[in-house]
Amino acid sequence: VTRAQDIPPAVLRQREVKWLDMLSHWDKWMIKRFNKVRLRCQKGIPPALRGRAWLYLSGGKVKREQNQGKFQELDSQPGDPKWLDVIEKDLHRQFPFHEMFVSRGGHGQKDLFRVLKAYTLYRPEEGYCQAQAPIAAVLLMHMPAEDAFWGLVQICEKYLPGYYSPGLEAIQLDGEILFALLRRVSPPAFRHLEKHKIDPILYMTEWFMCAFSRTLPWASVLRVWDMFLCDGVKIIFRVGLVLLKCMLGTREKLKACQGQYETMELLRAIEPRYMQEGFLVREVRCGYAKCVTAKQPVSLA
Amino acid sequence: MSESYDFLFKFLVIGNAGTGKSCLLHQFIEKRFKDESNHTIGVEFGSKIISVVNKMVKLQIWDTAGQERFRSVTRSYYRGAAGALLVYDITSRETYNALTTWLSDARMLASQNIVIILCGNKKDLDADREVTFLEASRFAQENELMFLETSALTGENVEEAFVQCARKILNKIESGELDPERMGSGIQYGDAALRQLRSPRRAQPQGTQECGC
Repeated sequence: VTRAQDIPPAVLRQREVKWLDMLSHWDKWMIKRFNKVRLRCQKGIPPALRGRAWLYLSGGKVKREQNQGKFQELDSQPGDPKWLDVIEKDLHRQFPFHEMFVSRGGHGQKDLFRVLKAYTLYRPEEGYCQAQAPIAAVLLMHMPAEDAFWGLVQICEKYLPGYYSPGLEAIQLDGEILFALLRRVSPPAFRHLEKHKIDPILYMTEWFMCAFSRTLPWASVLRVWDMFLCDGVKIIFRVGLVLLKCMLGTREKLKACQGQYETMELLRAIEPRYMQEGFLVREVRCGYAKCVTAKQPVSLA
Repeated sequence: MSESYDFLFKFLVIGNAGTGKSCLLHQFIEKRFKDESNHTIGVEFGSKIISVVNKMVKLQIWDTAGQERFRSVTRSYYRGAAGALLVYDITSRETYNALTTWLSDARMLASQNIVIILCGNKKDLDADREVTFLEASRFAQENELMFLETSALTGENVEEAFVQCARKILNKIESGELDPERMGSGIQYGDAALRQLRSPRRAQPQGTQECGC
């Protein structure tokens, strides 16, 4: 598993050709050769095609075609002021160092507003959850507003259903599942968290709700999302398990953080080497975290 | 060791979304305004050792997400907090109106004796003010809260808010009203612990200065 920046141009060109072929016969590939699609997602989608690939993988493309004109219709409505206020406040708080979102009133912030507002009109009973903003922002970095909207719809309804709903029950349930899996992936980490009464919700909320977009270095975010949009939430579980195991998996490490707060601080400052894309992708693909989550198709489906 | 302190207090920063909770924390720790900040999802942290009435106190501060729907999640952070900054935005009546809910959450879920200071943040935006000093002050009095108007932008009263809250907790320890040894008090002795405080002079009249200003 190589880092994206180390891929020779010739190899990248080859991959682009392969991806172009897949994208132009998408249904066939998904039905007949999904394992190959998955493998190529694991290798990393070529940057030039990532936006399109994400839209296809997520099913956002189909959704858009089934609902022609829907986004424009939502876009033209004023929206509920209750949500607009909160959304407005968050516009300048997404990836403020990304060129697209730097300027107030710039096109990035404007599109973010449109996408998030459209979602509150599409699912008025759900409204707006602050954790949706980084998700929408990552999508917008790769595709136009309408596509990003359908991508967001798919993530909220198919990939992470219930994560953003009032009450946040789904995220709490997945926190418990993560903790149960950790028991098998890394007993020392599990015992430590249990001993110090550190609820999963204390450390995994932002990880899972933002699909690691605010946790990992950017190159790793993209690689994780390539796999996540192909394979679903189990990728998020695996990344979480890898990080927990690396940070809390040995006795020496645990000695250094005796206490709830110290442990939380440690988990907020994950060592860069564990988040490096090559390492992380390798662990997620082949590591023990994979074996455990692969055995759990029911709870992680 | 630079990490030497007499007491450790767990603090919370709570209040509606967009009131400047994370900016207050950042200003307190880093002494500058954080202009480009993400909104908090889940929880953020900070810690700092301050000197209060000749004691070194380490504050462990848990800064929480403000949006309503995160409340079911952030509640699990409350347990065992000794002090809290309850933050509203003086330019937003809505954030002020929500205080009662935050207050009852904090008293119910943290510890009964939690010491709370009300912070009317964004004091620098006086032109857009929607909540007067007087009404907030009255609210604070009625609910036995300390009160300050703060500005995370200029830094005005930010350190004071944390220090006053810590001072009140120390007073309560000295008067025996708070027992650090009790489970879930949110207070721990540091390694430089002044163990003489372990047998508080309970006979002494309680610290009466309600507002440690």
